[in-house]
Amino acid sequence: MKQETYSTAYAKLEKLVERIESDTLPLDELADKVKQANELILFCETKLRTIEKEVNLKIR
Amino acid sequence: MSPKIKLSELVDQIKGTLQQRFAGEVFWITAEITNVKPQDYNRSYRFITFIEKEGNTTKAQINGVFWSSALGQIDEFEKITQQSFVNGLELTCKVRVAFNNRYGLQLEVLEIDSAYALGRIEMERQRTLERLVQENESIKLIDGQFKTFNNTLRLPTLIQHIGLITAPNSDGQRDFKKEIENNKHEYAFSVIEFLTQIQGDHAHELILQQLRLIEQQKEKFDLVVIVRGGGSQTDFKPFDEYELANYAANFPLPILTGIGHDRNTSIVDLMCFQHKTPTKVATFIIERNFEFESQIFDLKERISSRVKNLLEDASSNLKEMKRLIKSLSPSAILNRGFAIVTIDDKIITDPKSIKPNAQLKTLLKNESIYSTVTKKEINEARDI
Repeated sequence: MKQETYSTAYAKLEKLVERIESDTLPLDELADKVKQANELILFCETKLRTIEKEVNLKIR
Repeated sequence: MSPKIKLSELVDQIKGTLQQRFAGEVFWITAEITNVKPQDYNRSYRFITFIEKEGNTTKAQINGVFWSSALGQIDEFEKITQQSFVNGLELTCKVRVAFNNRYGLQLEVLEIDSAYALGRIEMERQRTLERLVQENESIKLIDGQFKTFNNTLRLPTLIQHIGLITAPNSDGQRDFKKEIENNKHEYAFSVIEFLTQIQGDHAHELILQQLRLIEQQKEKFDLVVIVRGGGSQTDFKPFDEYELANYAANFPLPILTGIGHDRNTSIVDLMCFQHKTPTKVATFIIERNFEFESQIFDLKERISSRVKNLLEDASSNLKEMKRLIKSLSPSAILNRGFAIVTIDDKIITDPKSIKPNAQLKTLLKNESIYSTVTKKEINEARDI
């Protein structure tokens, strides 16, 4: 099964959080990074609770 | 011409002859059984046929019967050996030769040797396990654990698309789906069912067929679940078959089994990811997704705590600066008893520029003093 979407989202999110936590992040970039992170969080949360498309399979 | 007699008389004669020879005698036999029909609870007996084969030829064949007093032996056998009473089974049992006027020559089964059957099953099982390891580089026995291609696959972080192999209208199917559909986190799942007979004679081939079907479209699934309800009619045999175990061990998607058994572990269980019951498989899957969500939640927490800290830091820096500025202001200095000396409203920072007779204005707290310089000297170090 394809897992790229949510695992890439998760990996991106982890990177962002590290950036947000780093001391070198300029304060004026903070808002933007937090916004990006929140979008990824929303994506993952939505992913957990929806099936993208109902798979129509031929059984037998 | 031979004498003409009634059928019943002839049958009686046969019966009498047999009784003379076999009366009171019992025998232990080991033979394969066939013609086994599903139990009809309206009847207090069960007919079977015993056969002995050599290669593909049948060397001997005779009808057998369990009368009501022996029927309990079948249940007992299934309970002890975890095998179904089906065609192809090899049975060791105590029999009596009997002739029934209506049904003819029969072996009446008096007792089944379940312990013998159990021993054979165990031997067979060990042989199959050894063969699996010998014939497959991908199956290894390490510290008493079987490591296979399948059970060393990485499980997906998020499980959503499940191929379910189960028997139609079974407890296993119901239990698994109920748990999955009613999960309290409201996670979404797509469960595609591959229904098949899951016990009995050809069950292992049918299960294998379903696995093949899933493999053909494996990109549509995260993993495969095989479940079967507990119940009393438990038959382990299909899950101990070499072909099925071998296929499962090398299957490209993780297989999670919940074939409802507390005492035993089937060979397929050993080759895959074993969970004892259908409900436990479902719980495991839901928990796996919950772990993923927890990780996201942790990241979320880290962000908000970081943002909070940053804002707090910024605000406390600001306060600190304010305090500093305040303490350095001229009025703060005057309050502490220092004075500001000016000439012509210019603050004097270098006293060298003050000459005798200069007109000074000295600013103190609240008041200023005007004065004329009468004397100047260099400070001794101890003066300050």
